Amino acid sequence: MAGRGRGRGRGGGKGMSFSVETLGFGRGEALPAPTLQPPPLFPPLEFKPVALTTGEEMDYILALKQEFRATMKELPYYVKAQEKKKDIERYTDKYQTGQQDSSINWEPDWKRFPKELKIRVRKAAKIQAVVRPSLPKKTISRKADKDVLQTLEELEKKAVEIDAEKDEEDEEEKKEEDGEQEEEEEYDEEDLEEETDYNLNYFDNGEGYGMEDEDDNLDDGPTY
Amino acid sequence: MAESANAPVKQEPVDAVNLESRILELCMEFPKGLTDAIIQNSMPQFDAQQRVTAINRLLSTGQVDLLKSSTGLVYKLKDSAAVSKVKGSDHQERLVYQIIEAAENKGIWIRDIRFKSNLLLTQVNKILKNLESKKLIKAVKSVAASKKKVYMLYNLEPDRTVTGGAWYSDQDFESEFVEVLNQQCFKFLEQKAALARDSKADPMAQKNAAYTSSSDVWKYISELGISKVQLSIADIETILDTLIYDGKVERTVVAAAAGGDADAGQLKLYRAISPLIQPTGLMKTPCGVCPVIKDCYEGGAVSPSTCIYMKEWLDY
Amino acid sequence: MSSSATRLCFLILKERYGEVVASVACCLAKKNYCPLRMLSQDSGLKLDQVKKALCTLIQHNLVTFQQNKKGFIEYVIHAEKVLQQTRFPRYIYCAKTLYGDPAELIIEELLQHGQMTLEKVVQRTIDRLTEAMEGKQNVSSTLVKEKFVNLVQTHFVQRCTSPDGNVENKEVASMPVLSVSPEELYVVPKMELDGFESRKRKRSGEGSEAASKRIKTDESESSESSIFWRVNVSRFHQYLRDQAIVQAVASKIDKNAAEVVRAMLRLSEVKTDEGALVASAMTVTEVFQNLPREFGISKQTIEQYMKLLSEDSSEFVSKVSDSGGGMYVINFKKLITVLCRAHIESAVQERFGSKCFRIFRLLLMKKNLEQKQIEEYAMIPSKEAKELLYRMFEEKFVSLTEVPKTPDHAPSRTFYLFSVNINQVSRMLLERCYQACGNLIIRREHETKENRRLLDKQQRVDAITASMEQSGADPSQKEEIEQMITPPEKAQLTKIKHMTNKIEHSELQLDDTIFILQTYLQYAHMK
Repeated sequence: MAGRGRGRGRGGGKGMSFSVETLGFGRGEALPAPTLQPPPLFPPLEFKPVALTTGEEMDYILALKQEFRATMKELPYYVKAQEKKKDIERYTDKYQTGQQDSSINWEPDWKRFPKELKIRVRKAAKIQAVVRPSLPKKTISRKADKDVLQTLEELEKKAVEIDAEKDEEDEEEKKEEDGEQEEEEEYDEEDLEEETDYNLNYFDNGEGYGMEDEDDNLDDGPTY
Repeated sequence: MAESANAPVKQEPVDAVNLESRILELCMEFPKGLTDAIIQNSMPQFDAQQRVTAINRLLSTGQVDLLKSSTGLVYKLKDSAAVSKVKGSDHQERLVYQIIEAAENKGIWIRDIRFKSNLLLTQVNKILKNLESKKLIKAVKSVAASKKKVYMLYNLEPDRTVTGGAWYSDQDFESEFVEVLNQQCFKFLEQKAALARDSKADPMAQKNAAYTSSSDVWKYISELGISKVQLSIADIETILDTLIYDGKVERTVVAAAAGGDADAGQLKLYRAISPLIQPTGLMKTPCGVCPVIKDCYEGGAVSPSTCIYMKEWLDY
Repeated sequence: MSSSATRLCFLILKERYGEVVASVACCLAKKNYCPLRMLSQDSGLKLDQVKKALCTLIQHNLVTFQQNKKGFIEYVIHAEKVLQQTRFPRYIYCAKTLYGDPAELIIEELLQHGQMTLEKVVQRTIDRLTEAMEGKQNVSSTLVKEKFVNLVQTHFVQRCTSPDGNVENKEVASMPVLSVSPEELYVVPKMELDGFESRKRKRSGEGSEAASKRIKTDESESSESSIFWRVNVSRFHQYLRDQAIVQAVASKIDKNAAEVVRAMLRLSEVKTDEGALVASAMTVTEVFQNLPREFGISKQTIEQYMKLLSEDSSEFVSKVSDSGGGMYVINFKKLITVLCRAHIESAVQERFGSKCFRIFRLLLMKKNLEQKQIEEYAMIPSKEAKELLYRMFEEKFVSLTEVPKTPDHAPSRTFYLFSVNINQVSRMLLERCYQACGNLIIRREHETKENRRLLDKQQRVDAITASMEQSGADPSQKEEIEQMITPPEKAQLTKIKHMTNKIEHSELQLDDTIFILQTYLQYAHMK
């Protein structure tokens, strides 16, 4: 008769796969009454989170984590999102191109990577046109923040100028932060050739937009 | 028969109850009067002392009368009882009475009475009411389930499973009392363990010094005088077991030395232990204790960016 | 893969390699194998973007490739490796504790770049060490190389797979076939070290100070090594596992017992195969000889500790034979199970309170129990026990089995047995951890985003003052710049710092739970 699941759970069962009675709720008895109002989104906590472990060791590991996180963003493995089609020339554009520069300048050891991952070179004159912005790469600016940020920029430029002279003398004496930049530069040098391929490709985006996909679908098609 | 002679004392009440009901039954069979000789003949397993006790109890509870007749002293069912039991009461009532009687001091639940008697619920209810008003049976709240009542003969002492023993007062579980005992036992064991640690003895000796027998814990608790009722060593062991489940105590069983205070030659030893790990990492995040985490997703009403638990935790 | 795990993968990758890489990886994770074109279609990303993302992923050992029957190259993502990336700071710290600062930097470099040649790692490490010492001291390359060799010999660093040298037509092949022989995995060829030396000598011979840049070009031209190295994650996990065991022993017994176990674990590293679930048997004498003298633990005391450890309910060690004064083993699988249980119990304790903790442990000890038995053993009033059980049942910490007494399965004649399935709970809790970790990252991003403008401003001010300092600008000028951040802004910045630190601390500590659960589940599959 009540051999199958459906027949069971009479009484307060309410669609549960087991009889509520086994949980000790007598039929209909202790089952919490249907609530008349929605429960609060965040009911008060019965238990608070346990305190975090503190100490030198934890602080050191935290520093390692934060440094690692920051470094990774600066390394060339970081792939920037593709640029949206430009409708207006924005003030910030030049910074973004600057960032893109730094994001593509590593060259896989192609002996160890599938060839199909190579990005094909398009020979165009544009390559020469790549101009590095005069501001340091670090500059991140989303929204120009009125005068304060502008003032800062100017100051920054000045600082860079002063810097430029000094730089030559004590190149070695740099702080850690700059160390990361230096690393990029190393890659720059090393992979100069291929980097420009990437670069070119990137700059092509605007131009070949829409065409790109078809183009790429020709497996091992001719490169030009 | 040999059994009755050797029967442990604690079985007596059950037998006595049996005897009483059998006497009542015999009274029904011999409505003109029941002699002691008849009782003796039909139930030879009971001795004179037992018979006297039973008869006295029946007399004092007003269930039988003692009358003089030509054949000497005879027992007759007292009128009211006799009426209901023999004449007035029908077969059904007797049946129910017998079912309850069979359940002894563990009692029987009304549903089971219904099943066994094959009577309708209303009938059973009526009969039970009747029997209760005559003080033949009583209803006892069982600790097993708060709303369950069990029925047993009126003069019986309910079994421990019904009352719950030391941990119940009036069918209510005294959880506070249990918790106090749990804490006190642990405190005792912990002090012992701390002493052992400070002893600077070699590691094995330290461990052994931390062990305490259940009877020592029992002595300590008894001397504290926190218990209104008399606790047994077994009661304390039940408490110590909860400490094992709490992960605070470990138990080992060793063969007791000759003349030791343990039963069956075994000695139960307990010691306080340290935890294996610190609280786990997940529980150091608000999400670990979050009651609404299953409703949490980015963009939802409950979400990591809008979470107030997270905010509270970060502000702290 | 579950949705919370996928989401966490995405968040981790996004933070490290950008959103493009994260999207490609997650697309890939949805399939077992996927060729390039399909990946581009599925992700809606441009082919070139996908190519770049794949390069990054391959470089960081997260994606491998193979050729299918039709000749297409298919990419495979190793999602578990993505999830392990949250543990990187731990690996770096381990290396530091074991072999000092150079090792710390070696591991950090390898983790940042995924795969590197010995030469590059050593050079970068030397550069960074020199930088850290502000040029006051010369960093010996011999020392750094020695550390590198140490790390390889102890298996913390291993060779990457490389193209088979015998296959001559590799120029034509669309894809290199990568492999490494087990014998070579942990061997640093002498040539690698010497070659480096000779090049170095050559450089100094040239007397060129312009240093590294020059050499880089050099090596890429001709003599650059084709051997790449990477971090051996499972070796670090083995170390972390052993650390967890040592810590547990210290907590449960004492510091000396922990040292005895540490000595045993060190011994087992040498004697036991990697990945073995039980360490090879060892004698008390061996342990004694492996225990540093400074602890001053006598052999006799070790014998006592061995007894304590083997008699402990956690079964830290087991005695396997009486020969040689007793042979002992450490059963890793058993111990990790014990630890995993402890972590789960801790979760129950902190989430549901001590009464639930008691019930939960009771169920673990007695396996299957009816509700009534639970009330009796745990000494918890019926009504309360019901509620607690129901809460744990609802959140899948305990399970319920129906055992019908009669064939009609009538509830009144059915046993309802509660029990705990550790494997199931581990999985559930691991999911919860992934969700929590993702939530923490999202919240951190959220706080940063909310304060983007202020943080940008701070960054700029810092950059300017730093460069002013360098150029020896007037201090009053510097001060002027610094004052551009107002006191309320400063207060807000401190608050953000506090929040970020707290969140990241808990990300790291959350990983302790994740690590134990993952290890337990991994071992549970191994025989």
